[in-house]
Formats: sequence, C-alpha cells, structure tokens
Amino acid sequence: MGFDNQVRILDAIIDYLAPQIGRLLKTIPPPHLDGLEEIRLRVGQPLLLNMGQQEYALSRQGALVKELRQAYRVQADDLYKTILSISDNSLYAFEEEIRRGYITIPGGHRVGLAGQVVMENEQIKTVKDFSSLSFRIARQMKGCSQPLLEHIYRRQPCPLSTLIISAPRCGKTTLLRDLARNIADGSPAGPACTVSVIDERSELAGSYRGKAQMDVGCRTDVLDGCPKALGMMMAIRALGPQVIVTDEIGRQEDMEALLECSNAGVAVIASLHARDLEEARRRPLIRQLLETGVFQTMITLSRRRGPGTLEEIVRWD
Amino acid sequence: MFWLKSMGIALVIAGCGGGGLIGARRIEKRVEQLQAMRQAMGYLEKEITYLQTPLPLALEHTARMAASPLPCLFAGCAHTLSRRQGISAEEAWQEALIRLKAQADLQPDDLQILATAASQLGSSGIEQQKQYFVLLQEQLKIQEEKARGQVASERKLWSYGGFILGTTVVLFLL
Repeated sequence: MGFDNQVRILDAIIDYLAPQIGRLLKTIPPPHLDGLEEIRLRVGQPLLLNMGQQEYALSRQGALVKELRQAYRVQADDLYKTILSISDNSLYAFEEEIRRGYITIPGGHRVGLAGQVVMENEQIKTVKDFSSLSFRIARQMKGCSQPLLEHIYRRQPCPLSTLIISAPRCGKTTLLRDLARNIADGSPAGPACTVSVIDERSELAGSYRGKAQMDVGCRTDVLDGCPKALGMMMAIRALGPQVIVTDEIGRQEDMEALLECSNAGVAVIASLHARDLEEARRRPLIRQLLETGVFQTMITLSRRRGPGTLEEIVRWD
Repeated sequence: MFWLKSMGIALVIAGCGGGGLIGARRIEKRVEQLQAMRQAMGYLEKEITYLQTPLPLALEHTARMAASPLPCLFAGCAHTLSRRQGISAEEAWQEALIRLKAQADLQPDDLQILATAASQLGSSGIEQQKQYFVLLQEQLKIQEEKARGQVASERKLWSYGGFILGTTVVLFLL
C-alpha cells in the first residue's frame, strides 16, 4: 500500500469521524496505520483499530497501544457526531441502508451500525439508539486475481462460473472486485467480457450515490443496492452480460437465479461464506446447488498468510 | 430665516413620516417573508421526503429558489454542513439563523419557531420528517395570519402616525 494512498484513505475516513476521534487519528503517522482494516467505535469502550491480525487501541494522546486501560473511551457524543457525519445529517436518506445495518461512505468504505433494532411485521424497520459503529476500510488490490485468471478462463473465450469460498475477512470481496475488473478490461488469460456486478451491499464497487468508487473495469455495469436474485434477472434481461459477479450467495432465491443464469449461458462468479468446501456442503441449499453443476471452478481462501491466501482450487470439468 | 425654518419643518416632518413609512413597510415585509419561508419549507420538505436529497444539497437547492433574504439561512446552513467539521444540522441552522435575524424583518416569536425546528432537521426517517415539516408549515401559517392581522391594524397607524408625529413636533417647536 503506497504512502500517498494510505494518506488519502485516512483523510477520507477522518472526515467522517467525530472531530475528537479524527484529531487523535491524525496524530498517528500514516505509515503506522498501514494495513488498517477496521476502526471500531463502541460507546463507553476503548477505540479499537484492527490491523491485519493485530488489534490496537488508540490512546488519549493519540498513540497506538495494546494496553486497553490507556485507551481513549468513545463518548456518546462521538458516536452521535459520527452518525450525523456519515449520513450527511440526513438520516432520512439512509433508511434502507440503516435497515440493512450499514452505510457506505465515499471511497467505498462501509460503516456497520449497531443499536436498538425496531421491528415491524417481522421485518426490521430501523435501527435507533446507535451504540457502536465499525468502519471497514475498502481497499483495491489491483492484480490480486491475476494468478487465478487462467483457472477461470481455461483458454475459453469467456470465464467459467466460479465459486469463491472463505470465512469472513479473508479477501473474497477484494478478489471478486479485481476479477470483475480483469474480466471487463481483458487480460492475457482471456479476452474482455461484458460484466454485470450485482452489489447488494455496496461492497464490491463501493458505490456512493450510484457511482462506483472502485475500479471494476470499463465494461462493467453495477446494480448497486439491488437484491442478488432480482439483480441477476434484471441484468440478464436488460444489460446483456457475459459474466455476472456477485457477493455472498446463500438464499433460496439466489439459487434459482443462479440456475437461470446458467441456463441463459451467463457465467457467474460468486462468493460464499464457509471455511471450505466441506463446510459449504453442509448447507442443504449449497449442496443442491453444487450438484446442479452451475459452477465449474471453486476457489478457497484463508488468512493463513494474510488476507487472500489461496488454499485450494477445485475444477469440475 | 423663513427659508431655514421651512426647511427645518420639512425635514422634521419628512424624517418622522419616512420613519413611519419604513415601520409600515417592515410590517408588510414580515408577512411576505413568513409566506416565503413557508414556501421554502414546502420546497425543502419535497427535497427531503420525496427526492431524499442529502440535507446540505437540499438546503442549497432551497436557497436557490427562496426569496431574499431567506437564502442566507439555507445557504449558510448548507455551507457550514458541507465543511464537515463535526457540526450538527441543528448547530449549523442556529448559526445561520443569527445571520437571518440581522437581515430579515421577522419577529422574535417567528425566529423562535425556526430555532426550535432545528433539532428535528434531518435527524429522523422520512415519515417523521414529513410530520415535522407539516407542523412547521402550520406554525408558520399561523404566524403569517397573525402578521396579516397586524398589517391591517397597524399599517395605517405607522404610515400616518409618522407624519402626525412630525407635525406635532413642529407645532411644539414653533
């Protein structure tokens, strides 16, 4: 991660934090924050930063410390001001995002929300009295999918349907994003294809007000905030994709939409939460899906040697 | 000497009369400003509840359509919010309201309604925002009606009162 890029990411995020927390973060030299993945704000609790496998607290003097007693404790006002800032003082404009539990800020960084959940007709109506926020820093690792492209293309003119499996925070989304970019732009492994990204949680393209903040390629159409199953059908009907890229499949309607894509001759590159293939197969829906032969390739990732460690490639030729 | 006296008389009557006319105009302007404020709030409501435009942008749009001197309130608030210095919409609104107070002909109770409204600005869901704007516009309408009543009863008093006062002062001096 370049120094300038690190500074840029931090500046973008600091603008959205409460002034007091922003001031503390500014005192840390940017190289010390290399690898910053998460900033966690919980009312009355230490301000925590996750950097790779390490967790640090931010002290009252603005230093990274391991000892939680020295940590700056997040005040209710810090959380309130941060919420106002990430929502642009416009909570009404983020009702859907609040219902889903996160707000995306410019740069594609996602802020997870926790508080009191209000239910109506067995559906989440809203979240109020926010008690914690988690800033998840989005990074684009251009080129991270390069070694996998030959397994996905296999000398075909179009990529084959691929399932990426890993536990959370192992780099699935980063890999999917780079695959979308490489496939849409073309690479030595295969020609460029038209890609539709179905980005239900605004994570893949990191869209802010409809505009992708991440480079997802020049032949990519992004359906932002769209439920996966609906998005896949919409894309097939309206956007004519050769490849659909989507994150975290798992619901019944996703399975049906995946079969539709397969029948329509559209390759799907999707991700799934599971440690490995064995664990994925324990879920009845996934087992059924794998038996239909929708996917020709499966890639497993872990964090063993950092996010994005390639564990296994399975080919169902 | 006669010319000097005549000039003095004219100046006193014109001064007092002018003051009265300004007073009468201020009462009329208050009605116009309250009406413009109600319209601007209606516009802001549409921006928020229908278009779901983020508040700084919605305020900026409202500033563009609002009649003078109201743009200073909306644009001032939008400008403060867009600087992103951890200032809430309520604080930015109160700050802009001070500037409006200096430029507008609104009375303290009109400004009080606008000041108390600040705490709700942008800080809830669409339905609550809708209710809040309906209530705010109702309150402004009541103020407007009160101001119209004041115009009917006090405009003539101010308009003629100034000249009458000027004439009385002259008579006393003579």
